[in-house]
Amino acid sequence: MLMGAAGSKLEKALGDQFPEGERYFGLENFGNTCYCNSVLQALYFCVPFREQLLEYYANNKSAAEGDENLLTCLADLFTQISSQKKKTGVIAPKRFVQRVKKQNELFRSYMHQDAHEFLNFLLNELVDILEKEANAAKAPSPDNSVSNKIANGPTKPQANGFHKEPLVTWVHKCFQGILTNETRCLRCETVTARDETFFDLSLDIEQNSSITSCLKNFSSTETLNAEDKFFCDKCCSLQEAQKRMKIKKLPSILVIHLKRFKYIEQLGRYKKLSYRVVFPLELKLTNTTDNSDLEYSLFAVVVHVGSGPNHGHYISLVKSHNHWLFFDDENVEMIDESMVQTFFGSAQEYSSNTDHGYILFYESMVGKS
Amino acid sequence: MATSSSSAINSQQSPGLKTYFKTPEGRYKLQYEKTHPAAVLHYSHGKSVSQLTVAYLKEKPASQNSAVPSVPSSSSSVRSAAARLLGAGNGSRALSFVGGNGVSRTGPGSSRLSGTLGTSTSSSSGPQSANNYDGKGAYIVFNTADTLFISDLNSHEKDPIKSIHFNNSNPVCHAFEPDAKDGHDLLIGLQSGDVYTVSLRQQLQDPGRKLIGAQHYNKDGSINNSRCTCLAWVPQTEGTFVVAHADGNLYVYEKSKDGNTDITFPAIKDVTQSSVAHAKSSKSNPAARWHICQGSINGISFSADGAYLATVGRDGYLRVFDFLKEQLLFGGKSYYGALLCCTWSSDGRYLLTGGEDDLVQVWSVEDRKIVAWGEGHNSWVSGVAFDSYWSAPNSDGNGENTVYRFGSVGQDTRLLLWDLAMDEIAVPLRPLAGGSPTFSSGSPSAHWDNITPNGTLLPAPSMRNVPKLSPVVAHRVHVEPLSGLVFTNESVLTICREGHIKIWVRPSHAESNPGQSNSSGEVVIGNATASKERPAISSMKVGTSSGLNTSTSTSLSFKQQSSVLFS
Repeated sequence: MLMGAAGSKLEKALGDQFPEGERYFGLENFGNTCYCNSVLQALYFCVPFREQLLEYYANNKSAAEGDENLLTCLADLFTQISSQKKKTGVIAPKRFVQRVKKQNELFRSYMHQDAHEFLNFLLNELVDILEKEANAAKAPSPDNSVSNKIANGPTKPQANGFHKEPLVTWVHKCFQGILTNETRCLRCETVTARDETFFDLSLDIEQNSSITSCLKNFSSTETLNAEDKFFCDKCCSLQEAQKRMKIKKLPSILVIHLKRFKYIEQLGRYKKLSYRVVFPLELKLTNTTDNSDLEYSLFAVVVHVGSGPNHGHYISLVKSHNHWLFFDDENVEMIDESMVQTFFGSAQEYSSNTDHGYILFYESMVGKS
Repeated sequence: MATSSSSAINSQQSPGLKTYFKTPEGRYKLQYEKTHPAAVLHYSHGKSVSQLTVAYLKEKPASQNSAVPSVPSSSSSVRSAAARLLGAGNGSRALSFVGGNGVSRTGPGSSRLSGTLGTSTSSSSGPQSANNYDGKGAYIVFNTADTLFISDLNSHEKDPIKSIHFNNSNPVCHAFEPDAKDGHDLLIGLQSGDVYTVSLRQQLQDPGRKLIGAQHYNKDGSINNSRCTCLAWVPQTEGTFVVAHADGNLYVYEKSKDGNTDITFPAIKDVTQSSVAHAKSSKSNPAARWHICQGSINGISFSADGAYLATVGRDGYLRVFDFLKEQLLFGGKSYYGALLCCTWSSDGRYLLTGGEDDLVQVWSVEDRKIVAWGEGHNSWVSGVAFDSYWSAPNSDGNGENTVYRFGSVGQDTRLLLWDLAMDEIAVPLRPLAGGSPTFSSGSPSAHWDNITPNGTLLPAPSMRNVPKLSPVVAHRVHVEPLSGLVFTNESVLTICREGHIKIWVRPSHAESNPGQSNSSGEVVIGNATASKERPAISSMKVGTSSGLNTSTSTSLSFKQQSSVLFS
């Protein structure tokens, strides 16, 4: 395993401020696996997620031996990082990357992959595994009351007996929020609301705007008319209507994906939007159904480096114990908080700056001071 | 090329940008632009942020009293107004406005434009013509990358008349004091923390590219090596100035004394608390260190009488201090994120702040809290300023008008103008527990009615509790994010981060200009957030807000909590 000089440099930079028990390890790149590395670092420094995963590993040490899956591979990797003797260094996430490639042919090639697609794939895969394990554990002994932990590993979720409720795993508890799609018929004024869950919000972006503004646009009212009328159940006919998306339940970890890769019809291909979209270190969402003012704090940014959608590089910025760190595959460096704003994007189209914030990770400040 | 028409410049550099915008009182027209040699930017990689200072060099210092209203005859009433608002603390609402329409001729010292607005009033008291450039000694000072540029404000010359190059570090902020006694009137703060005072006139007389006759403070960052973020001359003093740094500290200097390098201030016990430490020796310069906040101080502004200092910073708080007593009076938090800029109204009654929540906050000094949120920017608000030259078009001239005009610029590349009519502020509907919504005519929240004790920092208010304000005008002025604005008697100046400046002449001053076309109606008036593609927004809000009002007197509006719309 490589133990680069960069590690000691980081230790020197942090000095006696090096957080107790924390590990800062770079991840080796196996040929265009930066999409994977950048997302893994963001998830590793998502503390509630990491803690659950380490706990899962501790509870399932024996089970993991024979039955390898993406969850056990990830838990294994996180455990490996957190139990390193050294404080800094490089780790090769070999088993995990092999498992990803085995599981999904999309990621099998050596081509440049989309970090957001990977994050989505990973979270959904983890949920699937947790649900399967929970169901398997339930099936043989439905009255298994020994393990009432919160759906961690092959245990039952909150044993309330209602099996039809969708299972709430710890992945859900971290990332899941609920959107409600409200449609108001302009004839009878009836409001139809349809809920849907999300792990992240994908936002359309505009040049020289802010995340706040993109979120506002996301929730702005849209009129359905002409070709695109709404079938109102009460009127029993197609009617003009107004539609908007609001957030009904805010997630504990808010993941925001900026739609920087846009299909341009005239070109017949995807194009990267290098727009300057500023994101604050603290954020509140105003587009909620109950007008709650939950405050979030930014703790990780996955950055796409490059001018096009089909090539380039991913790095991540991570906030850990009030220090900002820069992860570029094997390399880990400390950066000043003010450096974050150099990843906002370009105010004009043709700029030499190609490092653009792509996925933002915010954590809820509830219970923190 | 010596001169070129503004429209030619505009179409060349900024396609799709209009060369005018319309307000209720008439049309503001792009008069000319100022910029710098493009090669300079090569070094900055777009990371440096240009700031703008307007400086009026007087021919005979202190002889033309009528033209030097840095604190005019109304200063005593200004002082008493601010002192009454901040000192009494009994919560009584004496709403008789001082000095006519609430906009006396004293410029508010602004944050980034630190104190320079206060000085920008010193010209142009009489009638004037836009062509009479050079006669008044009006200059603009701006920084880009490693260079400080000086341009003649009233000439059509696009390029600077003077460039001052800094070898070691970039100049990042500056301030000008027209009444400076010994000629050192320009303050310059560097990335390295170093500070210089120089004579602007002396720089203009020298042909070289170096700073001439400078007094150097905090040499090589010996006292504080973090970036200077903003600095200001303290109004009504003889050469006292303050310098704020990116580490949350602010230092008080006297220009009459040499800068010392061997001063140490005691360690800061609690970085989250404001504290003031004095140097042991009376000869020390700086004499005091104010620890303001954790993280960067992003903006400072003195009230016109120099009695009160407002700061905004990374922690999202506005703080208002009694500068002489060195005491925190009050403050409060943004909705979320850092605050980036602040400024006083010239009568000391209101403060504006802008920041990373895309809002312009209006603070009442008397109430010691936010009284309105300006919604309209699509990105961070980087500059705010009151227009102390503006008077309402429908002003009846008897001094009863209490409308304040202010402007804001943002990283959305837009300039917004706002009218604040305090007597028309409407408090949002607030649902009572289990009851029907009720209209409160007083304070937005009952528990705020008691005036807050000194030193209290208010938490962020809830969205539904703050009255909302909509802009009168929203105009995209540059292609780059904006970093500042300055109002002068004749015009509004805007500057973008890259150091391009546009000068928008006021309607009254443009009338003599025959070249106006009659096309109109292309400028968004009213609720600027309602973009063309989404007419639904505005139509949705019509029922509950007056946000689409185009008349200046009713622009202060409120919105119900939006869930009401669907109930």
